[in-house]
Amino acid sequence: MKLTRRMTLAAFAGMLALGTAAPAYAADLIAIITPSHDNPFFKAEAVGAEAKAKELGYEALVLVHDDDANKQSELIDTAIGRGAKAIILDNAGADATVAAVQKAKDAGVPSFLIDREINATGVAVAQIVSNNYQGAQLGAQEFVKLMGEKGNFVELVGKESDTNAGIRSKGYHDVIDDYPDLKMVAQQSANWSQTEAYSKMESILQANPDIKGVISGNDTMAMGAYAALAAAGRKDVIVVGFDGSNDVRDSITSGGIKATVLQPAFAQAQMAVEQANDFIKNKKSPAEEKQLMDCVLVNGDNAAKLETFALTN
Amino acid sequence: MFNTLTRPIFVALFLAAIGSLTACKILPTPSAENGGTGSAFNPDKMVEDIWAAKVIPYLQQKAGPFPEVHALAKTDPAAAGAKYGNPKKQANSPWTFAVRLEGKVVAANTQSRAATMDIDADGDGKADARVQIGPAMRGTALRDSLDFIQFNDFTNQIDFAQFGKAFNAYADKTVLSKLPREALEGRSVEVLGAYTPGSGQDLPLVTPAEAKIGPKP
Repeated sequence: MKLTRRMTLAAFAGMLALGTAAPAYAADLIAIITPSHDNPFFKAEAVGAEAKAKELGYEALVLVHDDDANKQSELIDTAIGRGAKAIILDNAGADATVAAVQKAKDAGVPSFLIDREINATGVAVAQIVSNNYQGAQLGAQEFVKLMGEKGNFVELVGKESDTNAGIRSKGYHDVIDDYPDLKMVAQQSANWSQTEAYSKMESILQANPDIKGVISGNDTMAMGAYAALAAAGRKDVIVVGFDGSNDVRDSITSGGIKATVLQPAFAQAQMAVEQANDFIKNKKSPAEEKQLMDCVLVNGDNAAKLETFALTN
Repeated sequence: MFNTLTRPIFVALFLAAIGSLTACKILPTPSAENGGTGSAFNPDKMVEDIWAAKVIPYLQQKAGPFPEVHALAKTDPAAAGAKYGNPKKQANSPWTFAVRLEGKVVAANTQSRAATMDIDADGDGKADARVQIGPAMRGTALRDSLDFIQFNDFTNQIDFAQFGKAFNAYADKTVLSKLPREALEGRSVEVLGAYTPGSGQDLPLVTPAEAKIGPKP
């Protein structure tokens, strides 16, 4: 099993053919498919899901789709081919994913979605997602307070294909736009990327030296933006992120970034595996397909309690 | 579900059928239709349509006096939820309670766009709850207090969120924007609304669906 699994990970591009020929050892396989582990958030999901799967006696097949819907479709074929009993999926697009999940369902493989929803119900068994809008409101309210309800600000938006990029931006603006003295001087996508946020922030700052705050759609972009601001001697600029990563926690406790919003990524991934287990063993679906998990504001008051996308008491 | 024999066939069949699959039905579920997609979705209109007929009657019937609800929420959230909460709330969400709040204004913040009044409900001179009076309003307490509103009836979080905001906007337009803003301290207040207890030290934040402010003392 170990050997086959390593082969799969090494060469999942050619996996379809291999999958069709693979022996039927898959009685206990759960596929865990997420975006790239470069972002610690997705890594935490994969680690959380894999740990829970193993704890419940499953073999885990961990794959990444890199936010590429075509690649995701291939990986779902791989999971089907390997005879996975369930797929845990942080998907690559609210519309593009519907067909891929339907394909798995038609092949008898149930999908349990985490983090991002899709624009259809009745296709996946569960969609366990953070209440991104509620979280964005928390972040925006803190941002508004830190800004004193006025001043020029910049918004860094996430990857367009990710539905959460839009939800968070909407949540931010639903709060911020109620304050006419807060003026957005630039809004750009940095595609969730730290390096891209760094370079975008550099050029935005050159064009708009009079900014007072930056609100970012996630923590990696917030880290990139803060690094660019610090390099330009502008540590006074208020930066707020989203996700609750350990990097941003450390920045908050050392007086850098001001706040972030914690998504319970680890718990969410584990819950999805538990529901998959219940479905596989007892044919039991969760009471509701779409399940929202609330986010929590993290600032100087509670940052020290944050560890790997969970708050300790 | 699969054995070694059927699985390759299935995959082969599937590959052969990719073309037809993409053209094949993905039926919208009834619930997705209820939530409305695309241009048909008009959250402001939806709220306007149910406000007088369903929202206000529901809150009137469900709401408990704030001091009672809040005391029970602190000692036994499940019991408070069963009595004053939305029994069909999302399993992972906190309770949102329907409340009737009566008391005196002890402080007001009308400088912020998210204006609020602090209310003493038990007569000890200290604030027990904070009431939002807009125009900027926080949270989705009104939406979340109603047992006939389900997240699963909406296409996605964005629609659900816009629907939540539409409640606040409607309350602001029809009720809160008409309230006085000056010399609020000492006046009596009656509010019918909802709140979600927070974890912080801040006062419980009540979102009104109805509000009356008495004359200057």
